[in-house]
Amino acid sequence: MSSAATYSRPVRQAAKRSRELIMDDDDEARLSQDEYSDEYNSSESAATGDEDEEYTGRGSLPLVRLRVKPSPPQKPTAALNTSSFDPSGVMKGDGISRVFGRADFSYLMLKPDHASRPLWINPLDGRIILESYSPLAEQAQDFLVTIAEPVSRPSHIHEYKLTPYSLYAAVSVGLETNDIISVLNRLSKVAVPQNIIDFINSCTVSYGKVKLVLKHNRYFVESPHADTLQMLLKDSEIGPLRIEGDDYNGTSTTIVEGLVREKAPSMGELTIPGTSKGNNSAAIAESGNTGGDPHQQSVEDLFTSVVGLDREDDDDMDAVHSFEIASESVETVKKRCQEIDYPVLEEYDFRNDARNPNLDIDLKPSTQIRPYQEKSLSKMFGNGRARSGIIVLPCGAGKTLVGITAACTIKKSVIVLCTSSVSVMQWRQQFLQWCTIQPENIAVFTSENKEKFRNESGLVVSTYSMVANTRNRSHESQKMMDFLTSREWGFVILDEVHVVPAAMFRRVVTTIAAHAKLGLTATLVREDDKIDDLNFLIGPKLYEANWMDLANKGHIANVQCAEVWCPMTTEFYNEYLHETPRKRRLLYIMNPKKFQACQFLINYHEKRGDKIIVFSDNVYALQAYAQKLKKFFIYGGTPQGERMNILQNFQLNPEVNTIFLSKVGDTSIDLPEATCLIQISSHYGSRRQEAQRLGRILRAKRRNDEGFNAFFYSLVSKDTQEMYYSTKRQAFLVDQGYAFKVITHLQGMENLPDLAYATVAERRELLQSVLLQNEEAAGIENGDDADNFVGRDGGYVKSVKRAKRTMGSLSSLAGGDDMAYVEYNKSKNKEKTRNPLIKKLYYSKKK
Amino acid sequence: MPRAVKGVLVECDPSIKALIINLDSKNHNVVLADLDDEHLVIEERMVEHVKRELDSQLAENTFKPAELDDIQRK
Repeated sequence: MSSAATYSRPVRQAAKRSRELIMDDDDEARLSQDEYSDEYNSSESAATGDEDEEYTGRGSLPLVRLRVKPSPPQKPTAALNTSSFDPSGVMKGDGISRVFGRADFSYLMLKPDHASRPLWINPLDGRIILESYSPLAEQAQDFLVTIAEPVSRPSHIHEYKLTPYSLYAAVSVGLETNDIISVLNRLSKVAVPQNIIDFINSCTVSYGKVKLVLKHNRYFVESPHADTLQMLLKDSEIGPLRIEGDDYNGTSTTIVEGLVREKAPSMGELTIPGTSKGNNSAAIAESGNTGGDPHQQSVEDLFTSVVGLDREDDDDMDAVHSFEIASESVETVKKRCQEIDYPVLEEYDFRNDARNPNLDIDLKPSTQIRPYQEKSLSKMFGNGRARSGIIVLPCGAGKTLVGITAACTIKKSVIVLCTSSVSVMQWRQQFLQWCTIQPENIAVFTSENKEKFRNESGLVVSTYSMVANTRNRSHESQKMMDFLTSREWGFVILDEVHVVPAAMFRRVVTTIAAHAKLGLTATLVREDDKIDDLNFLIGPKLYEANWMDLANKGHIANVQCAEVWCPMTTEFYNEYLHETPRKRRLLYIMNPKKFQACQFLINYHEKRGDKIIVFSDNVYALQAYAQKLKKFFIYGGTPQGERMNILQNFQLNPEVNTIFLSKVGDTSIDLPEATCLIQISSHYGSRRQEAQRLGRILRAKRRNDEGFNAFFYSLVSKDTQEMYYSTKRQAFLVDQGYAFKVITHLQGMENLPDLAYATVAERRELLQSVLLQNEEAAGIENGDDADNFVGRDGGYVKSVKRAKRTMGSLSSLAGGDDMAYVEYNKSKNKEKTRNPLIKKLYYSKKK
Repeated sequence: MPRAVKGVLVECDPSIKALIINLDSKNHNVVLADLDDEHLVIEERMVEHVKRELDSQLAENTFKPAELDDIQRK
């Protein structure tokens, strides 16, 4: 693999050279396979032709990478196979097999009709390469998205990877081991390698066997296999966590007693007959208690028969065994199960949940959901119960509506957590827009707003930071928190779920007792390795949409991406070489050539009638650029009123076509007018930020106009660190199939009237002012780093906290201040002697 | 008395020139003459050294997808 890998990943400078290498390869392959069938030859040259066409710049690198990766089996192998197709059947290495080292797959025999089969599986690492131009590709894609993680999906060749998690997700939506293998075999050019079969077997055999079900408000570990549960009970960590049903007898209803009776004969193990066939009397007892839903029973029956793997006897198939655990130990059990390779599926039997009151909520009749939204929801509610998991949709593709529809299906109390107070208001407004919920049933919990809903069930929208915050809570928010933690929630929606693995937010998932969890995100990537944690914090990835597909169907805008290389001026580069890394940042952001490029692009696109957003992470640069170009700008310190004013002007005023945004605009600012995006500085190599920013123009209003394109420019100073980060940032979007064009020279930039910093003197002046800035100016905006980014709320909450702290310390220093205050200001009638005492206690507790 | 030194003319971007001059600043044994923004004459025997240094310095600014794979593998 190693040798293939080194030149299959041409670095920028070496791109041309490696392309020659690749072409050499192709020539060689073509030469040596001259004798081979015409059919093969034609498809081969078609494929290489595509490569020529596509090779416009770095954007197509992954394409090249992909073209090359399958090359061992396809091209040279074909050449090899022609020679080794001789009756002797003995594999001969030839001159070039050693180049490929371990990645020489010439021993894999192609099926005779391989040309019509779309995929190939790498026996070494479980990667699947799919020819997406094949007529079978669409079905193959549907299947692969279910069983494997999409790695890279450019226009012609897709790459997927089989991982334990992806197989686990496949099992959770009801696929069986044998189905997976047989479909793979049908689609594969070569027989599915034995080790891949073994891998699939080993992953799926234990997966999906154990389910964590919330029934009648208690957690049960459920499985169709009694022996699996026995094994879990013997586990040193899980065993002690089991609760004997007796503990609950006092408080629970007759249902429990029915179950306790059931439990006794089977060694203290709780046995719930889940299906009607198995144990009739028990089933009746149970369905009688829960109000009986024959449809649900049959669905459950179906599910157990689909999911139950390698069952031998019928008894096992028809019965479901379970034992109960306490809600506090849920995460421990989940984590432990994951460790011993019996990951639990979480399910919520919401239709049988009689204890939590229903919420009167339904989609408005006018609400239409799109096909891919329906598909993602069908994965979630596949068996009539709600599964916890994550749905990945691009920004602007209607994640909110997916969440709302799910809430309308479950019809229990819902809590929505998002990243900022702005998105809180957006969620609230979207709920009112799409479904029939009454405004008084929607409560908002932010630093400004602390409401509760009046009825017994309702909807709460809040932010992660409000819920995760543990210190310095105001009295009201503490009361609100108690309200949130004291009750049970049918459903929790976690918006922008990639933030959850951050230490601060993990707690949120456990403190709120929710039966089903749905994570929504566009960008399931983090620059740390915590993304896998989501698998046990929330659940498996249920669905991931293909960005290119949605763009082609007009659900999101077509975007032209470009990276503009701006050479550093000599004086700036000289300083760059001698500065500290932080100061370097400032120098490459403030590069006058970049400034000019920005000015030129704004000018060009304003003339075309585009609405432009310019992004800069660096506040100093943001202000410098915006003031020089006389445009509006918004950053963390901009007051709310001014923000709204600027955004409204941008949307409605034809005179305001460009705004500058700091990273406060990265997520959840909804500006469908924007059609062009220019990025002048960014958060190092954050792939997520790049994708989120792109998301700002994906929902462009004009996206369905004929031939409409949105534009995304990333301005990069040449020969600096920025080049490195820029390529890294693009990796995610490139994997989604976006091609970045590299623009090395903007035609006509020099002739632009009023070009900024055109003279050496002006540039010197700029350099001086940049050098005078201290290192702080080079940093990014205060607040959390982009990966744990909380949005505006973070900053805002902080300032509120500061105010509170001052009050606390005053009272503590002055001691009697409070009392004096109360005596002077309150009327004698209303005086409550307890009041100051409580206050005092409260403040002293806080310290 | 005039002295003849063998040199190599280098034509490059201003930024690369800055890098070469930066190399030279340590021992002053690389650059023979600084002609203009894009041209330099450098010592012939230092050519290989300069090439190597430039390669390594520029490689720092290049992202290789392999690194990402490493992150993912962890």
